[in-house]
Amino acid sequence: MLGTLLKIGKMGIKEYLQYKSVLFLFTLNRIVEVVVYIFVWYAIYNQTGQIEGFAISEIATYYILVVTLVPMSLWGINEDIAYSIRKGYISRELLNPISYFTYYFGKNLGEMGFGLLTAICTFIVCNIFWTVLMPVNIWAFIGFICILLLNIPISYFLQMIVGTCGFYTNATWGMQILRKSIISIFSGLIAPLTMFPLTFQKIANILPFKEFFYTPINIYLGKIQGVEILLIIVKQLIWVLIMYVLAKVFFNKAVKKITINGG
Amino acid sequence: MSIIEVKDLEKVYKTSDKESGIIGYVKHLFHPKYKEFKAVKKVNFNIEEGELVGYIGENGAGKSTTIKILTGLLTPTSGKVIVNGKVPYENRIENNKQIGAVFGQKTQLWWDLPVIESFRLIKKMYKIPENEYRKNLKKFSNLLELDELLNKPVKNLSLGQKMRCEIAATFLHNPKIVYLDEPTIGLDVLVKERIRKFIKDINKEKNTTVILTTHDLKDIEEVCDRIILIDKGSIIYDGEKQAFKDTYGKQVLAQIRIKNKNTLITNETIEDEFEVIEETEDFLKIKFNHDKTTIMNVVNRISNFCEILDMHVQEQGLEEILKEIYRGEVVC
Ligand SMILES: Nc1ncnc2c1ncn2[C@@H]1O[C@H](COP(=O)(O)OP(=O)(O)OP(=O)(O)O)[C@@H](O)[C@H]1O
Ligand SMILES: [Mg+2]
Repeated sequence: MLGTLLKIGKMGIKEYLQYKSVLFLFTLNRIVEVVVYIFVWYAIYNQTGQIEGFAISEIATYYILVVTLVPMSLWGINEDIAYSIRKGYISRELLNPISYFTYYFGKNLGEMGFGLLTAICTFIVCNIFWTVLMPVNIWAFIGFICILLLNIPISYFLQMIVGTCGFYTNATWGMQILRKSIISIFSGLIAPLTMFPLTFQKIANILPFKEFFYTPINIYLGKIQGVEILLIIVKQLIWVLIMYVLAKVFFNKAVKKITINGG
Repeated sequence: MSIIEVKDLEKVYKTSDKESGIIGYVKHLFHPKYKEFKAVKKVNFNIEEGELVGYIGENGAGKSTTIKILTGLLTPTSGKVIVNGKVPYENRIENNKQIGAVFGQKTQLWWDLPVIESFRLIKKMYKIPENEYRKNLKKFSNLLELDELLNKPVKNLSLGQKMRCEIAATFLHNPKIVYLDEPTIGLDVLVKERIRKFIKDINKEKNTTVILTTHDLKDIEEVCDRIILIDKGSIIYDGEKQAFKDTYGKQVLAQIRIKNKNTLITNETIEDEFEVIEETEDFLKIKFNHDKTTIMNVVNRISNFCEILDMHVQEQGLEEILKEIYRGEVVC
């Protein structure tokens, strides 16, 4: 099974790399985003003098990491699922000897793989233009990686939920926007969560999206340490489970709908 | 035990009968109205291992619906299907491992990647042993002339090239049963020939059971031994192809070149057992039923009115028979 998943993932990456310039363009696009974020935040610093909990040297690293992580946290196979449903390819894919659910997890791994390539390129280029802080120690780096790995299933299951909404509404595009907005707000992408009101922070603490950006970056910077990291991992494991169950329920319902009404 | 058993199969499609506009949408929310359509009615048949079955019928007769139920893509409204001991719609993925399927132009190949990549994925997914995979790939490449195609991205292939690859992909894991829903649609004569030959060869070698739907009756003529004919959801014929032709194909068409005609033959022969379809000074086209008269009788009769120069007699093919059945001129 793992062999099949990795093969699908590899094919997904190859699909991107068919177009030679794609990695360069995606990276360039990331760098431009970094520039915009950093200019905005330097301006805010100049106006207000300081930001809750972050030094100016840290905020640059924070945003370089945010932009680096976007491909792995926000991208995915939503579009592919919507496409497969709309064009009826799903009926062909349901005849594979592995489940559609597994098949698309493989495809998502491909997206993540290409995301990682883009992330690495972005990170390296950023190091040329700015001073990017390194992880405070090896444990911070390991914690950072663990959190990111656990995001993969959470993000995938969420995408499956949003994707299968394509069976009930034609507005998958709107659902995508909603998904991205919710993640952007609650993950610390728009601004470090310490800058939001307390009630908001409490909600963000419960939801899994904080772990997409805010948590791993703070672990990287050494602001979250020790047992706290373990607790966060436990929280993520619980969310993996919740999202898995939800995704399975949504998915099975969708498949039932096809097998009753036809594709 | 038959490899495919279909018993009292019925499929009713429900479609929501929504009025247009927002008001219709809201109405539908509170009083959902559904239209029902019975696409398959009390269908029964058994198929034995190794059979080559042509599943034919008019557009909308219910062929694809039946195939989708057999593959487990659709759940029947009532009745039962057992494929090699498994109920496909209850155990789809297990069933998928033993079957192959082609649905018209819905490809299982990855669009942006060379064909061979998709083949390798199939090898992984179906756990095809390395030597078996190599053997099949080599054989299929020969039969379908794939050598030049395997390293090209799928998106760069022509329709016929794509279908050849698709067929190869479908047989790669040595499926016990293969469903082909209109595999030859839009292909040129040579590609069709090649695909037909491929199906026959593989069937002979591996005893693969094949169910084929098509509107090109030459596919059926050349590939299948057995015909199942479905009309408006019901099976109206199930049996050997030859028996089908013998039973329903009794009309004979004769084209006769003549000379020195002395009368209007159409009028003279109104009472006869043959029917004149077309008459000119030097040409006659007639139709008669093999059961009621013989060629000799016809020739004798016509030579009363003219000199016969040449004659071309044509037995009815599948196509003509089906045309008459579809038009309701012949009843099964
Ligand atoms: N998902 C669906 N919802 C409602 N009606 C459907 C659905 N799919 C098929 N039908 C109807 O069921 C009937 C049988 O369709 P089916 O696709 O099985 O025909 P077919 O024999 O394969 O025809 P063709 O030769 O055109 O492919 C048609 O009248 C069709 O309109
Ligand atoms: Mg059809």
